[in-house]
Amino acid sequence: MEFVSPEGLRLDGRRPTEMRQLRAEIGVVSKADGSAMFEMGNTKVIAAVYGPREVQNKGQQINNDHALVRCEYSMANFSTGDRVRKPKGDRRSIEISLVIRQTMEACIMTHLMPRSQIDIFVQVLQADGGTRSACINAATLALADAGIPMCDLVTSCSAGYLNSTPLLDLNYIEDSAGGADVTVGILPTLDKVTLLQMDAKLPTNIFEDVMQLATEGCKAIANYIREMLAENTKQLEFRRDS
Amino acid sequence: MVGLSEGEKEFIKGGIAQDLRSDGRKRYTYRPIYVETGVIPQANGSARVRLGATDVIASVKAELGKPSALQPDKGKVALFIDCSPTAEPTFEGRGGEELSAELSSALQRCLLGSKSGAGAGIDLSSLIVVEGKVCWDLYIDGLVISSDGNLLDALGAAIKAALSNTGIPTVHVVAGASNDEQPEVDISDEEFLHFDTSGVPVIVTLTKVGKHYIVDATSEEESQMSSAVSISINRQGHICGMTKRGGSGIDPSVILDMISVANFVSRQLIEKLDSEISAAEANEEDS
Repeated sequence: MEFVSPEGLRLDGRRPTEMRQLRAEIGVVSKADGSAMFEMGNTKVIAAVYGPREVQNKGQQINNDHALVRCEYSMANFSTGDRVRKPKGDRRSIEISLVIRQTMEACIMTHLMPRSQIDIFVQVLQADGGTRSACINAATLALADAGIPMCDLVTSCSAGYLNSTPLLDLNYIEDSAGGADVTVGILPTLDKVTLLQMDAKLPTNIFEDVMQLATEGCKAIANYIREMLAENTKQLEFRRDS
Repeated sequence: MVGLSEGEKEFIKGGIAQDLRSDGRKRYTYRPIYVETGVIPQANGSARVRLGATDVIASVKAELGKPSALQPDKGKVALFIDCSPTAEPTFEGRGGEELSAELSSALQRCLLGSKSGAGAGIDLSSLIVVEGKVCWDLYIDGLVISSDGNLLDALGAAIKAALSNTGIPTVHVVAGASNDEQPEVDISDEEFLHFDTSGVPVIVTLTKVGKHYIVDATSEEESQMSSAVSISINRQGHICGMTKRGGSGIDPSVILDMISVANFVSRQLIEKLDSEISAAEANEEDS
């Protein structure tokens, strides 16, 4: 199947290095301490953060000097094209929960909040490829909205390699095409990689290009998220003054 | 979980007794209701309903299936509710399952009628394609994103809005198949049939706090309830289903009283919901 047309356009009309349209909204769940919705094209996720609060289950507390970070990923029944009713806690969800938790732990300053717990819940409303990236971006926004101290914003983006072209931000069709899929999460200011996952195989020199592309994508998302947060802060300031 | 001090509890109860609730509402006033349709493009129909801080999404998906042998002239409808942990940390893991099951069965009772399908808000015989062979299976999924009380009414409203947003593709049966074979069908991509949702009831939950009962309770008010009755009422004022929750018993005469109040409130709710749904649909077409 042809994923890049001779004119250099992808199936959904994007250029190879073009990202899907981003959209974010802060404070979508009013009861949570922090929440955000993040859209990458047709992929749409909601993240809610509860905490820092007292550790609910003392048995889970391993390290007394650091905050306990927990994460749960769930997919809505209607999120995929074909309706499937999956039991909660299947292997894929558990794996993604773990990935998100570890990625977010890297940026949260857990040593500032000993004996407390932070819960991150991500809910996928629509899945069209790149859900884990979207979840991480939504979680970053939600953590920032909750006012949890972080050393940097984590952002994530995926890139792939199809028809001998590196492609940024794969959608579901491109993702399931069988080519390589590299998901990268970075701390943009500190310039560190916190998440790196890849399936299928790639020659080393091409991998470099693909990873470079994904990192560029992360940086673009980081700029967008920073803009969103600045806008949100302006509005908060305005509301406080009025 | 709602943690309230003794003073707060008294304040809520006292307010309800004096017909002035903590958010300034009267006993029979709903919070402002917002409807957004077409939020899930992958579904045949979807809607998001916000009622104060309560936020729910309902989606309708239609798949071709086979009617059951007992009712060859009717389609099938299944209803599932999921409580997302984003709404409440206690819903994490399997924590939300009990509430999900309770809500699903209450909604099923209120919207889908009895086992035989009699009294359903949706005309099940309109889902049939070829009698005894092919029918539409409707999957209604509800998702609770944020919960601040009165989930049942919000979900009922969301499902009603999602159903009126639903377009079922028209199906042409390829002629010439013999009686025993499964007929071949051709699903149209362009033509859609819309449901008649005027018969879909709304749900009004009356929550009893102290001596009085209120509509559209917040979670703080729900924590003080002794019992609650959910009544689903259609446009004609017929009762389509009822559920009582909560520990303490209610006097039968009070229940009759509640029904007449619910009847009165439901008329306003249906009107409000209809105008919100048509506004949302117009909005969706514009964008």
